[in-house]
Amino acid sequence: MSQRAEEQLKERIRKGHILESPEEMTPGYRRAIIIQLTVQADTELMSAPAYWLAARHAPSTNTQVSAHAIIQDELAHANIAYRLLEDMGVSKEKLVYGREPHEFKHPYGFDQPLDNWAELVVANGFFDRAGICLLGDVHRNTSYGPLKRALVKVDMEETFHLRHGEVWMRRLARAGGAATELLQRCVDWMFPMTIEWFGLPDDLKRHSGQLDYRLKGLTNDELRQLWMSSTVPLCEGLGLKVPAHYDEAAEEYVLDYPFPCEYDPEAKHWLFGDGEITWDAVFTRWKGRGPMNERYVESVRRSRGTVSSWLN
Amino acid sequence: MTGEGVYEVFARKKRGEPLRHIGYVDAPGDELARVYAWKTYDEEKWFEMCVVPRGAVIPVNRDDGPWGRNRRGEGDDG
Repeated sequence: MSQRAEEQLKERIRKGHILESPEEMTPGYRRAIIIQLTVQADTELMSAPAYWLAARHAPSTNTQVSAHAIIQDELAHANIAYRLLEDMGVSKEKLVYGREPHEFKHPYGFDQPLDNWAELVVANGFFDRAGICLLGDVHRNTSYGPLKRALVKVDMEETFHLRHGEVWMRRLARAGGAATELLQRCVDWMFPMTIEWFGLPDDLKRHSGQLDYRLKGLTNDELRQLWMSSTVPLCEGLGLKVPAHYDEAAEEYVLDYPFPCEYDPEAKHWLFGDGEITWDAVFTRWKGRGPMNERYVESVRRSRGTVSSWLN
Repeated sequence: MTGEGVYEVFARKKRGEPLRHIGYVDAPGDELARVYAWKTYDEEKWFEMCVVPRGAVIPVNRDDGPWGRNRRGEGDDG
C-alpha cells in the first residue's frame, strides 16, 4: 500500500508535479529530502568557520570585508536550509547544538584547515563552484517548491563567492614567484579534494531515490564533469597544473591519478603513488572526520550558552 | 530556542513590482524578525520588505499548505 503511494508520487513527479508543503510528502520522499537538506545546511554552516579562520589572512581591510560578507552569506544559506527542515518537523536546535561534531554531514573538505589567503580564495574558486554545480542542479530540477525558491538567493550569492575566488586566483597567478607557487600548492590538494566531494561514481552508486523523487537532476559523475568543465580550463588558463585533462575521443574530462586515493591531512598531500583505494576506505576516512572538525563545530556553538544564561 | 516563531518574509525589488514571498526566518519577536529578515535576505537592494508572523496568515482555499495548520488549530510554528 505505502509502496504504491511512493510509486504514485514518483510518477506524478516525473510528469512535473511540484510539492508545496511537507504534508504532501510520502515517508520515502520525506526521508530523502531530509538527508539532502541536512547535507546542504551542514555544508554551508561548516564553510563559515573554515572561511572565518582563513579571513584573518586577508591582505587588507577591503578584502577582509569581502571575506566576511561571504561568511555571512554562508550562514544565511545554512539558516535557510535548516528552516526548511523545521517545516518537516526536524529540529534546527538539535541539528546545530545536539550532535557530536563527527555526526555533521558536510564534506570532508570542510574538515580541513585553510591556512592562508591563497587557500581561502581557492576554496572560493573550487568549493563554492562545487556548491554552484550541486545547488544549481537542485534549483533547476527539484520537485520541492519552497526549496526551489530558496535557492534563487543562494545561487546568486554563491556566484559572487566564485567570482571572488577566480579574481584572486588570477591575481596570484599573474604575480609569479612565491604567490604562484603557493597557489599551485593549494590547487594540488584542493582539486582532488573537490573531485572526491561529488561522491561515489555512478557505476557504484547505491540507489538513493534523490533522482527518482527529482530532488536533483544530474548524477554524481555528471556533476563531477560539470565542475571540471569550468575548473580545468580556468586553471589551465592561469598556467596552473591540474591532475585532469579533456579526452577528445571520450568527450569527457579524465583524471590523471588513481581515484579514489588516500590523503594525508597533516601534510595536505594526496598519496597518488600508493594507488587506488576502495570507496569503503574513503568512507572510513570521511567518517573519521578531518583535523578541524571539532574546532569548527565548537566555533559555531561558542558563546551561545553564556548569552542564553544572561537573557534567561 | 524556546519562544521562537516563524516569520514569513515578503519583499519587492522596486516600485511597480509585486510583493513576493522570498523566504522565512525564526525569531523570538517582531523586532528581531525584522533584523534577521533584513540581514538574511540581503541579496537585493529591496525597495520594500516586510515580515508577517506565520500564524497570522489565513489560508483561503486550501488547508493542506504550509499555512493550513493555522486553520486546523495546531499553532503557528509546528
